[in-house]
Amino acid sequence: MQLSSFTWNLLEILQILDQVDQVRCGVMDESALERYFDDSIANDSAFILGEELGLQSSAPPLDGPASSVQNSSFLSTKSERSGELGDELDLSFLPDDLSTQEEPGQDDTGADSQTSILDVSQDSGVGLNFTSQDSTAEPQQEASISGLRTGASPFCPMTPMTPMTPMTPVTERSGIIPQLQNIVSTVNLGCPLDLKFIALQARNAEYNPKRFAAVIMRIREPRTTALIFSSGKMVCTGAKSEEQSRLAARKYARVVQKLGFPARFLDFKIQNMVASCDVCFPIRLEGLVLTHQQFSSYEPELFPGLIYRMVKPRIVLLIFVSGKVVLTGAKERAEIYEAFENIYPILKGFRKQ
Amino acid sequence: MFRSGLTCPGCGSSNIVDDDLYAQAQLVCTDCGSVVSEGTLADEPVGGSVVSYSRSTAVTKKPCMNLIKGVQRLKALCRILRVNSEIEDQSEKYYKDAYQHESFINVTLQKKEVLAGCCLLVSCRLRNWPITMGTISCLLDADFNVVGATYKEMVKILNIKAPIVNVTDVMEAHSQEYKISSYPEELAETSKDLTKRALALVELAAESWIVTGRRPVPIMMAAVYLGWQSLNPNQHRLRMSLEKFCQLAQVKKCRAAMTRIAEMKEMLCKLGKELPWIRGAVTPDNVIPQVDDILQNRYALLRRAMRAHEDTLQAECQTSSADPQTEQTAPSQITEHVAQTPNTSSVEQSEPNPDRAEPPADKEANLQTAPEQSDVQGSPDPAPNWGKRVLFAPPCVVHPKKRRAPQPELQDVTGDEEISDSEIDSYLRTPREVRDFVLTQKMLSEEGKS
Repeated sequence: MQLSSFTWNLLEILQILDQVDQVRCGVMDESALERYFDDSIANDSAFILGEELGLQSSAPPLDGPASSVQNSSFLSTKSERSGELGDELDLSFLPDDLSTQEEPGQDDTGADSQTSILDVSQDSGVGLNFTSQDSTAEPQQEASISGLRTGASPFCPMTPMTPMTPMTPVTERSGIIPQLQNIVSTVNLGCPLDLKFIALQARNAEYNPKRFAAVIMRIREPRTTALIFSSGKMVCTGAKSEEQSRLAARKYARVVQKLGFPARFLDFKIQNMVASCDVCFPIRLEGLVLTHQQFSSYEPELFPGLIYRMVKPRIVLLIFVSGKVVLTGAKERAEIYEAFENIYPILKGFRKQ
Repeated sequence: MFRSGLTCPGCGSSNIVDDDLYAQAQLVCTDCGSVVSEGTLADEPVGGSVVSYSRSTAVTKKPCMNLIKGVQRLKALCRILRVNSEIEDQSEKYYKDAYQHESFINVTLQKKEVLAGCCLLVSCRLRNWPITMGTISCLLDADFNVVGATYKEMVKILNIKAPIVNVTDVMEAHSQEYKISSYPEELAETSKDLTKRALALVELAAESWIVTGRRPVPIMMAAVYLGWQSLNPNQHRLRMSLEKFCQLAQVKKCRAAMTRIAEMKEMLCKLGKELPWIRGAVTPDNVIPQVDDILQNRYALLRRAMRAHEDTLQAECQTSSADPQTEQTAPSQITEHVAQTPNTSSVEQSEPNPDRAEPPADKEANLQTAPEQSDVQGSPDPAPNWGKRVLFAPPCVVHPKKRRAPQPELQDVTGDEEISDSEIDSYLRTPREVRDFVLTQKMLSEEGKS
């Protein structure tokens, strides 16, 4: 029973599209088309919403046939899809009487000209995605919907671009890029080492076994420091990028090789990345700790900065009153950028207050 | 207690009871009185019984003496601070919980005492009874850093989220320490007046970014000192240094208070300039007598100061746009300053600045390009200091620390480049060097021994 009403509405959609085509070919009267749209939207909006939700929750492969739709094969593919959809989906949330057609048009739609209808159709893919519960626009979905019609869209609400769920604007980036200051990496040279021998033979090494059980070696380019342990494990610190850290670690391994040890370069891994940046406005740390108490720790008696432990991504940020922010704890560069993009709107929010 | 399954060898009855009256446990027949079997003294396994001492003798485990002493010390601290019973109970609970934790069970007794103080501190914070860490470390006579570290560890272990202590909350308690009410008129002030004046100064300082991120005690000391001076700005008071004042008030001076005083005076000068009846310049030397008027009209003065600052920036912008040689960062100056405007005073928000509020959003992009522009100009300060362009900014921005010049960056490093042999050889000692080094070491060690 529900399936039949589904297909019945499909036919209606087809009718609308036919009429749109007719208008575009100059056959049908503009005002008549508007009236038609008014009616169908008033009745179909509930169903359309349901259909969109159904489409969203259906598996992506179903979009395949739809995205290629551009023309008269539309009906067959649509009904194919709807058939599949109908098998999988529970359409019980749709209102029972989808057949009423005679409602008078709504006020807001009457004034719209046809051009605005057509304009909206260009955006209809996006608009429809807004009306669905999934706020992130799936390109597949978008393609399928814009493929469904080339003319005006009877599906979207007439007021242009009124999203029901706000989409995070992709363009509002901070414009500030945190600069990497320090990278800590580890590598396994794969053989036991004689630290005394290394300290003796290398110019750039220091070894004080009473203080610390590792050789501290430094190279000039990239300007880094390495801790080399007798087990063959090595920690390399001070590089400003992942590639520099890798190059530096290789140089240390080469030095150890030259000293006669069968050193290899196993399991190179970046353990920690530290970056810093400046938002260029002062920050009320007392306010920030009040609103984000579960993440922040601010003890002015102990440390002048606020320690913000972000959960996703798992990064620790040190935020200072001057607007300088230090980000640490990342294993990848993207985590740092993501963390900063997360904190920037929060900080900006404090600026305007 | 009847023992089943045993029969008395003497009379054959089965009424055998355990007789624990004597030191040795015995099984005795109740009918004929003969001892069926004697106790286990001789039968104990070699090396002591299987059951350990601590598990057998104590009926209940005796509470740790140190824990008891610690709780007593905690209660004593509560009495000294005169906190209410809720705080006392809660801190006792926290202390008992933290004490048992592995990070605190084996530490020194002194650290356990510090732990007690930290539990008290966190309970006070949770119940809105503000005390500073400095107070606790004073009471415990412990190193402030140890107190801080213990506090952070304890809060992490017990997973407590305590609100921060505002300077304004502790101001009253702090100013009561200053014993200057019993001096002659020209030096004396009641605690109440002093507190009120110092509180107003601290609030003003907070609005001009002097308080955020700083330790509270130097700020409070500076506020009390300036407040005391301003309540009766006679020659005697104005000429008294902070050191003398602290001696007078029997309070230990802290060095950081000097810089706070300077910062506060600077802030007061900026506001004092706006007083309409002032003739001549307002300098840190002559601002104190005006403090009374400044505080009374602080909101109005803030507004005027902001407006005057905007006007000067506008004027600069005009001249700079007429003369393209000067710094092109002026538009972003206004942006930055305007963005600063809503920050400095809550009262400022009520002022209608709708036209100013919008531009910052779209001019923000200009701010990012500003560094490049001023670089192109070849100005002596390559990174524009936005702190110098706004009316009030945190002092660490206005007077930035001199940083080492950034090293020339390695560009386009892939990590897989070829490593030249000569570079690696430069890091290795020649055989001759090694010989010399070994010889020298030997010589030095011999010298050391002889």
